[in-house]
Amino acid sequence: MSETPEVDFDVIVIGAGVAGCVSAHELAKAGRSVLLVERGPEPGAKNLSGGVFYCRVMEQVFPSFADAAPVERVITRNCLSFLNRSSFVNLDYADERLAEPVNAVSVLRARLDAWLAEQCEQAGVMLMAGIKVDRLLVEDGRVMGIGAGEDELRCHVVVAADGVNSFISRDAGFRAKDPPNHLAVGVKSVIGLDRGVLEDRFNLEGDQGAAYAVVGDCTKGVGGGGFMYTNRESVSIGVVLRLDDLARSGHSAAGLHDHFVDHRFIAPFLKGGELLEYGAHLVAEGGQAMVRDLVRPGLVVVGEAAGLALNTGLTVRGMDLAAGSALAAAEAVEAALAAGDCSAASLDRYRRNLAASFVGRDMATYRRAPAFLEGRRMFNDYGPLLADVFHGLYDLDLKPRRHLLKTAREALKAAPVGLTDLMADGWKALRAL
Amino acid sequence: MRAVAVYKWSRATASALVRQDGEVDWGSAKMAAGDDDPAVLTIAKELAGADGSVVGLTIGDGETAWALARGLDTAYAAPQVGPSPDNAATARALAQAVDQIGEVDVVVIADAVAHPGVAAALAAVLGWPVLLGVNSAEAAGGRVNARRRVGNAVETLSLPTPLVLGAVAVGEEAKPPGMMEMIKARKKPVTELAVAPPEAGVAARGTRRPDRQGARLFDGSADEAAASLVAALRGDGLL
Repeated sequence: MSETPEVDFDVIVIGAGVAGCVSAHELAKAGRSVLLVERGPEPGAKNLSGGVFYCRVMEQVFPSFADAAPVERVITRNCLSFLNRSSFVNLDYADERLAEPVNAVSVLRARLDAWLAEQCEQAGVMLMAGIKVDRLLVEDGRVMGIGAGEDELRCHVVVAADGVNSFISRDAGFRAKDPPNHLAVGVKSVIGLDRGVLEDRFNLEGDQGAAYAVVGDCTKGVGGGGFMYTNRESVSIGVVLRLDDLARSGHSAAGLHDHFVDHRFIAPFLKGGELLEYGAHLVAEGGQAMVRDLVRPGLVVVGEAAGLALNTGLTVRGMDLAAGSALAAAEAVEAALAAGDCSAASLDRYRRNLAASFVGRDMATYRRAPAFLEGRRMFNDYGPLLADVFHGLYDLDLKPRRHLLKTAREALKAAPVGLTDLMADGWKALRAL
Repeated sequence: MRAVAVYKWSRATASALVRQDGEVDWGSAKMAAGDDDPAVLTIAKELAGADGSVVGLTIGDGETAWALARGLDTAYAAPQVGPSPDNAATARALAQAVDQIGEVDVVVIADAVAHPGVAAALAAVLGWPVLLGVNSAEAAGGRVNARRRVGNAVETLSLPTPLVLGAVAVGEEAKPPGMMEMIKARKKPVTELAVAPPEAGVAARGTRRPDRQGARLFDGSADEAAASLVAALRGDGLL
């Protein structure tokens, strides 16, 4: 057991997003004194609009989360879309089972984060907004607290939950600057629509919502994709573009966003809408490869700050991984505090918790997804190929009909993709997804 | 001179959502310090000087340490009273609270764009004079010298006490409090006042979104877009 230094708080959590709030809440619930420091003037103020939150994990923290929290819509319809210049192929999956129990919700982060922070305060967390933590206090290789301007506060453990850019992790030597193929830029608009109009256009009832994952012409072939999901009275739409590919392409991120929003198959969803928000955000895309060290003496890193984000092409996940990592970290920090030992070896329990949780397992399962999604054929070739197959099926041009297999073979012959490519990519997809 | 600095008496307007039917959903919008609240504190401190005192006054269910973290030692809160859509009702609640605080020379409150009229209504309920748009003030011989911008000039007025000043900030807060000041502030006592929520005199009978002026986008290269913008401004008689 190591010495117990004089502290202002047992734990200081940096960042009042999902990961920070869940960590702070769980540790306060365990009876620890917790300070939650947020850089923005209010929790949620720095977050770009929102996202789809696969929220089952939140039931472990807040029973009836989907009913109690300020969520926008329950996502019961998922579309995987191949968008081409003159065609649009959709795999449209709607299922009432996704509403019971609630699997995913759309959220506006300004409201969700404010609610989460409120739950933290009710659990006894001291929330301090408008404070930019500019350094960690490190003595003999151990993190002892935080510094902001002239002020310093000491604690047993710092939880870094300061997002994808995590300057705290970089300062602590956890992360070098990420390579551009591990990062993407997301450009997003929120378009306000009359509730009835939105529900008609997306074929929704009540509080149900839809989420689209789009590849192809939405990014003009740049690695990444488009997304579109419904909020209560608005649609969030945008593109996520891999930085290395974007730089190579010569396109601008804003230009590709506009191209997607104005696309002839997308624009009708948004017609007559009002632009409510527009912004850009850095997104972690490296998957498992981005996850670095999670623990230093007196410090743990959670959420996107730890590189925990997953894009499988079907789902884009971050908030659920943030919550899962926060639960894993909180349990380990509480155990370390109880033992009076906040060394790296003691806090390493967090790494083991994480590896055993759905977060660690999913990161491992989808470890090949980033490499698979870097393949150019996904963005350029398969959408038109699928459209050609369906065109052969639906275009009844008075020629004798052929079986599906023959039609597909003809389409493949005319496509720049060979059978070998198709088989290789299919195999990769099976392994990656 | 004894001054009351009224702070954090409205909800964060940036957190409110305007629904498609025009309804304003305050949802999780918290009580928040307004843009002019730092100026309120500065002016109240200037008026009190070394010999006087400043006490803070806030309403609603928000965290109360905002003013205490900015140098005040005493604060009063009326947690049962929230901001009302009826500005006069908000003013009546504040007046009740001021009455309970006791002898007061000056009440300084934000002359807030989002809540116009509260400062004037507060003065009316108290039966005191009021000056709005005040940027700075100091005590002078038992009176108050207050300054405000009028066009390109700065007007200085000498006013008797007791009075209400509606403060307007001229810039960002010079030095927001640090972590230690915030932590110490939360340990300072706050006296709760029993103020009965006044009945609102206005009630919404319906909502609609305000008419909007559509934005005009100019396509083309930067030069073409700039030329189109200039042409449009000339066409509208603005150039």
